[in-house]
Amino acid sequence: MAIQTDGIVLKNKKIKSIYFLLELDCPSIANETKPGQFVMLRTSDDNHPLLRRPFSIYKSYSTLHPRKRKRGHLFILYKKVGKGTQKMSTFKEGEKVNLIGPLGNGFILPPLPSSATSILVGGGVGMASLSALGEVLGSGKLYVFIGGKTKDDILCEDDFPKGKVFIATEDGSRGKKGTVVDLFLSEIERFDRGRPHNVYICGPEGMVKSLSKALKSKKWIIQVSLEARMGCGFGACWGCVVKTRDTEMAYQRVCKDGPVFPLSEIVWE
Amino acid sequence: MMMKIAPPLDLSVCIGKLELKNPVIAASGTFGYGQEFENFIDLSQLGAIIPKGISLSPMQGNSPPRIFETNGGILNSIGLQNPGLQVFINEKLPYFKKIKTNLIINFFGKTQKEYVELSRRLDDLPGISGLEMNISCPNVKQGGIIFGSDPRMTYRLVSAVRKSSELPFIVKLSPNVTDISAIARSAEEGGADAVSLVNTFKAMAINIHSKKPELGNIIGGLSGPAIKPIALRMVWEVFQAVKIPVIGMGGIMKAEDAIEFMLAGASAIQIGTANLINPRTGIEVIKGIKRYLLQNRINRVRELIGLFKK
Repeated sequence: MAIQTDGIVLKNKKIKSIYFLLELDCPSIANETKPGQFVMLRTSDDNHPLLRRPFSIYKSYSTLHPRKRKRGHLFILYKKVGKGTQKMSTFKEGEKVNLIGPLGNGFILPPLPSSATSILVGGGVGMASLSALGEVLGSGKLYVFIGGKTKDDILCEDDFPKGKVFIATEDGSRGKKGTVVDLFLSEIERFDRGRPHNVYICGPEGMVKSLSKALKSKKWIIQVSLEARMGCGFGACWGCVVKTRDTEMAYQRVCKDGPVFPLSEIVWE
Repeated sequence: MMMKIAPPLDLSVCIGKLELKNPVIAASGTFGYGQEFENFIDLSQLGAIIPKGISLSPMQGNSPPRIFETNGGILNSIGLQNPGLQVFINEKLPYFKKIKTNLIINFFGKTQKEYVELSRRLDDLPGISGLEMNISCPNVKQGGIIFGSDPRMTYRLVSAVRKSSELPFIVKLSPNVTDISAIARSAEEGGADAVSLVNTFKAMAINIHSKKPELGNIIGGLSGPAIKPIALRMVWEVFQAVKIPVIGMGGIMKAEDAIEFMLAGASAIQIGTANLINPRTGIEVIKGIKRYLLQNRINRVRELIGLFKK
């Protein structure tokens, strides 16, 4: 159940170039979070900027988590791009931050016990929710494809100790030169045999669109976590919709009906 | 020692024959169908709730992007997406049975006939305290704006709907007109019990990098603190032009804003955009109004209405 509450800033540090990691003490949200869910964070209380900003929950540790020192903590991985994230980057330890969360449906996990192969494809901060997902996947093989424009945009590569990680950068400064989609497609033959796989996607719209086209004929279970400009984040304003194949209501809310959708449900306009 | 006991604060206000326990109303289009807010507030504490606008048939709304933030404001072009009256009755209305406050239904049509049919069918439903007729959505050609920009059309529509429903009847006005007072007077002459204003201001934004509009629909409606001074001026003007109650809205973010609108002549106020940012805004505004009344030694909130001194 989503709630509105204050989190307390524990740490807020730059991890590379324009990417930051915010660690909050926020047990009431941390206790309820599933991979793929997000929070709406108020970056300022003077209405500049006005709207809250949506952020995937990167890591969350419930109050019963074995890592005692992390209990009740919530992590947000963010990219400093606009007014809101600029303000966020100035958050100091001890500051209160107002949050609404956890929001959205999160990824649907394959039925347990899961020995199916999982494939994760992500770009930029889209890796945050895939990383959260990686921690709860079953015992099957795990392949992770991470993309970015340059080596500075490659995030979360160390978060998948059990997985095989592939990296692509558009400028070739890390891993294979090109997009993460090209890299994934160049490796796709290795996945063509065997049972249908579980594929999870999160990243910029361009990436998701080209994957959608390329994977159309695959009989895999493909889930995508979408990004969208949001008004409220909790389903009230219908500002963040995406077109779907739903016959009764084509425009579904990314915040409430998603952000995770079956890839085949999305109609790209 | 003699103790002077202050009489309890009276927050109630009247919109025609409809009495609200306080003047704070959740505005249509920013409050979903109520249930979206149940985790955050006790909905029964609000003076009234106006769910997202309803049409006879379902409407799919405009192409995204539908929302864009500007300086102190929000542009939206949702396009009145809604599941239509029947789904609303079956799936959304029952929720309000347990909510102990007034439910006002916002509705709109493409034609006068549709408006009349909707109001007639809504009139028959239990649990509805009033109607708010939208003749002001800037985002849809069929959103009634044609009826909200010409005083004669407004008069004709309002009088037709008036005849088909006994419910307290509010007409929601567009600010995108030359003379909002003239439209308000037409609504009053047509038999409206109140007018609510303002809906959003037609506006747009362009991304200079892609050279494309920020909204899929190009033009949207601007709301939020950026429009508050203009909305306040319009409420003041309409308050002087009509005798029926005026419900004020436009960028109310906090109690002080709400009080300003009441001083300018609003009998009640609606909270819109602020609901999206802080779902507790309505409740905080009620608290803030109480505090203001106590500090100013005013017992009845209705004494604030139009108290503005020139």
